Amino acid sequence: MEAPAKIGKANHSTIQRRLIPAYIFLIIVAFLSVFPLLWMISAATNTSLDVARGKIMFGSYALENFKNLITQQDLWGAMKNSAIYAVVQTVASLLICSLAGFGFELYHDKGKDRVFAVLLLAMMVPQVATMIPLYKMISGMKLLNTVWGFILPSLSTPFLIMMFRQNSRNFPLDLMQAARIDGLSEIGIFFRMYVPIMKSTYAAAAVITFMNAWNAYLWPKVVLNQKAAQTMPMLIANLSAGYSIDYGVLMMGVLFCSIPTMIVFFILQKQFAEGITGAVK
Amino acid sequence: MKKITRRAFLAGLAAVSAAGVLSACGGGSETASTAASAAGGAASAEGGHKLTAYAWDASFNIPALNAAAADYKANVDPDFELEVIEQSQSSDVENAITLAASAGDYSTLPDIVLFQDHYIQKYVTDYPDAFVPVEGADIDWSGISEEKLSYSVIDGTHYGVPVDNGTVIFAYRTDLLEQAGYTIDDMTGISWADFIKVGEDVFAATGKYLVSMDGDGNDLIYMMMQAEGQSQFKDGEPYITGNDTLRQICEVIVEMVQKNVCYLANDWSGYINQTILGDMVAGVMNGNWIIPTIRQVPENSGKWEITTLPTLAGGEGYASNGGSSLYITANCGNVDLAKAFLAYTFGGSTVTYDAALRDGGVITTVLACGESEVYNEGVEYFNNTPIYKQIVEMGGNVPVVEQSDYHYRARTYLAAGLINVINGANLDDELANAEQQIRFEMGL
Amino acid sequence: MKANHGTLLAKQRRAGWIYLMPGTLLITIMSFIPIINAVITSLKTGSSANMKWSEPITYNYTRMLQDQLFQRSMFNTFLYLIVEVPIMLVLAMLLAQLLNNHDLKFKGFFRTCVFLPCATSLVSYSLIFKSLFATEGLVNTILVNLGILETNYNFLGNSTSAKIIIIIALIWRWTGYNMVFFLAGLQNIDYSVYEAAKIDGASGWQTFWKITVPLLRPTIVMTAIMSINGTLQLFDESVNLTSGGPANSTITMSHYIYNNSFGQGVANFGYASALSFVIFVMVAVLSFINMKVGDKRD
Repeated sequence: MEAPAKIGKANHSTIQRRLIPAYIFLIIVAFLSVFPLLWMISAATNTSLDVARGKIMFGSYALENFKNLITQQDLWGAMKNSAIYAVVQTVASLLICSLAGFGFELYHDKGKDRVFAVLLLAMMVPQVATMIPLYKMISGMKLLNTVWGFILPSLSTPFLIMMFRQNSRNFPLDLMQAARIDGLSEIGIFFRMYVPIMKSTYAAAAVITFMNAWNAYLWPKVVLNQKAAQTMPMLIANLSAGYSIDYGVLMMGVLFCSIPTMIVFFILQKQFAEGITGAVK
Repeated sequence: MKKITRRAFLAGLAAVSAAGVLSACGGGSETASTAASAAGGAASAEGGHKLTAYAWDASFNIPALNAAAADYKANVDPDFELEVIEQSQSSDVENAITLAASAGDYSTLPDIVLFQDHYIQKYVTDYPDAFVPVEGADIDWSGISEEKLSYSVIDGTHYGVPVDNGTVIFAYRTDLLEQAGYTIDDMTGISWADFIKVGEDVFAATGKYLVSMDGDGNDLIYMMMQAEGQSQFKDGEPYITGNDTLRQICEVIVEMVQKNVCYLANDWSGYINQTILGDMVAGVMNGNWIIPTIRQVPENSGKWEITTLPTLAGGEGYASNGGSSLYITANCGNVDLAKAFLAYTFGGSTVTYDAALRDGGVITTVLACGESEVYNEGVEYFNNTPIYKQIVEMGGNVPVVEQSDYHYRARTYLAAGLINVINGANLDDELANAEQQIRFEMGL
Repeated sequence: MKANHGTLLAKQRRAGWIYLMPGTLLITIMSFIPIINAVITSLKTGSSANMKWSEPITYNYTRMLQDQLFQRSMFNTFLYLIVEVPIMLVLAMLLAQLLNNHDLKFKGFFRTCVFLPCATSLVSYSLIFKSLFATEGLVNTILVNLGILETNYNFLGNSTSAKIIIIIALIWRWTGYNMVFFLAGLQNIDYSVYEAAKIDGASGWQTFWKITVPLLRPTIVMTAIMSINGTLQLFDESVNLTSGGPANSTITMSHYIYNNSFGQGVANFGYASALSFVIFVMVAVLSFINMKVGDKRD
């Protein structure tokens, strides 16, 4: 009993020793990845002049920067707007795209496959190309400065539909048949079976959609032209657009803008990884 | 077993957060859309006492608009109200007009917009339906700087009422000049060649540049050209190659950069933060709206004074850069009130302009308003000299030069060309290239 | 019985169509109609409130051939594409392979660190990099203190270094994102393949090129399409990090289109639409080639 354990231990330490270069490499990459973010946090605690002069240490100006930020800009309003837009878009997109992915894969036939191939083309439509026609459309629908004006264009994306479609490959068809025999309706199958089984795909899709919606900049800038409707990235762009820029306040804003997406990622990261797995099969 | 529990837990978590999310969005989207609709569809109704306006600078032109509103309320209409809707930058106002006009729906616009002088000609030409002329407003146009009006009068029709004054000042740090053995009087009316000599001495003595600029949006060329009474445009076409004055001015700028007399920052924020607030310069040459920026460094109070621009042959130069005026939009439901308000206040009210200067540092282009007591006071930051009076006087001397819708495009291409020349390219090639690009954009 | 089965099938088929309809309709309305709209607009000229058919009809397209700035923006965009995408994908795959090693400890920590950059918004990270690489910024301070640089270097003021910084920023922002996809792809590969390679004495590097890369081909195709697509539409970095400067030397195609639609008093929607349509065609062609090349060796 003891001997194999010992061998295992010896093996273990040789393996770990062999992995030293890997650890070093990973530590460097991890440091480089996190460093600019740490600097952002440190910059948010310093005065504008210190930030501009490249001070690296944490300062004691955080409260001051925060106070200036909330007096100069409607921080809570923008956080609230961004949160509403991102949450509504995430929930609505997930519903629409997963339903479509479900329909495309589990009821697939030649016609549906062809439609899907055409939809993929939409992935290649550049955002700047559709901005002006979309603006006219949204303006015609009287949806400027509303949550729907913001989310409609990105509510359904080929990428998300593809992700759900690919992930549905593993969906147990026998179970579906059994459920039908038990008298479950088609839509019942979706809500009672598909949604719970696919939950890690939903988590991955939620992270991606939430991040995209929260970070969107170009479209909201066009469609939300009222101060009351502005989002966090717009607020940050405002902070960096004045005659003179207060870098401490700016970085405080950047910090606030980054926190929610990081929280979402931390909460869902385990399922995120699992959910992506199916997508790349 | 462990796995199942964790999964169950996560599923529960997801359900809870989804529920939270749904309830949040149910309540939230409502507030968002009501907030938006309260602010949107902004214009006034006929017969009311309320107007709305777009403006973009909370420390400059917005206080001026608020000052005018207070003036009108106190002295004309006690029920009057002006709602200023803040935009983050001037281009937001331009985009709002572009988008509204493209969609053929002006109902998103406010009653009045503040608009940059250099762009208005193009916007009125492109979107004639977006603006309502201010003809018939009770304003004595002859009392306003002619150069300022040359922007807002389009085909003989008055479209705008001037707000701020873009007269260019050259501000110098007298303490630094002194260290190199010069005074502000030495800088008044000198030639650019002499300016370069002073600049070299100042750099040697103090390590500071005598002037700086945003290298990406280089306004030096335009300002120096106007001080010569020249333009980069002639008869509606770019006038760049074969324009000897322009060529000389470009040579001066390149020489200044090479001799550490002038520092070109990467962008606007570099110009402001690095060169002016970062104490890199002994001089600032720009529209007088730069003054609030200069004043942000309290340690340098009393050390600055202002004067006119140098010129190629020597003699005092006058120019104007930036500045904006107020325009009535097609969406205005109460044009009479808007006209009456603009005419009474920015058309020539000393009360408005005194308050605008005090609260926002906005300087008038109405010559009579520049004679008030407030304007004659010495300004402590500028060594107790009455700079505002000086600026209004300088404003009366700015020569009218040919303007173009493509002013900023020309600026962009010339700025890019200059950077290339500084990095070793041939000046004539770059000028020819810039001219070609501008002609291309103009569709010539 | 047979008829009954037939109607059941038809019913299911119809249910499928109903489910995919909302998503498909939305994409049609929000992507395809606008791009068709853009194609029509691209054949027109004049102020956006009053557009007329251009004379000749291809005016906006022939105009591009003489447009030096558009050509420069295209050159820049492709430069970013050619330099950045391979470095980023190889790096992402390497990291994925390392993090897939069952003996490695602190996997979760490393994975989180590497992924974190892509949680920051495009506007935010552009501003972070702009401040880091400013003339008086932190990178300069460090390099000068270490004695690597003698005086502060104007990274964003020189066209070569400004381009390099855009590329570095892109790599920083997107490597983690792509790594997650590779990591997921690796989880589908039987780990015993790696154990066998180890027993055969293959080095990590050999394993990477001989096993990981070939097995990940489908993932590579997908991430490459996403990256090509993203890079050809690069906008925020050019606008917020360098403003396209110095002297327009870092401007991207999307940024140039934006300038033609909204920048500096110019609203040349006809030309901007023509440029957009060209990007659309380029992205589509490149993605198509990519898919073909990716499939070939199957």
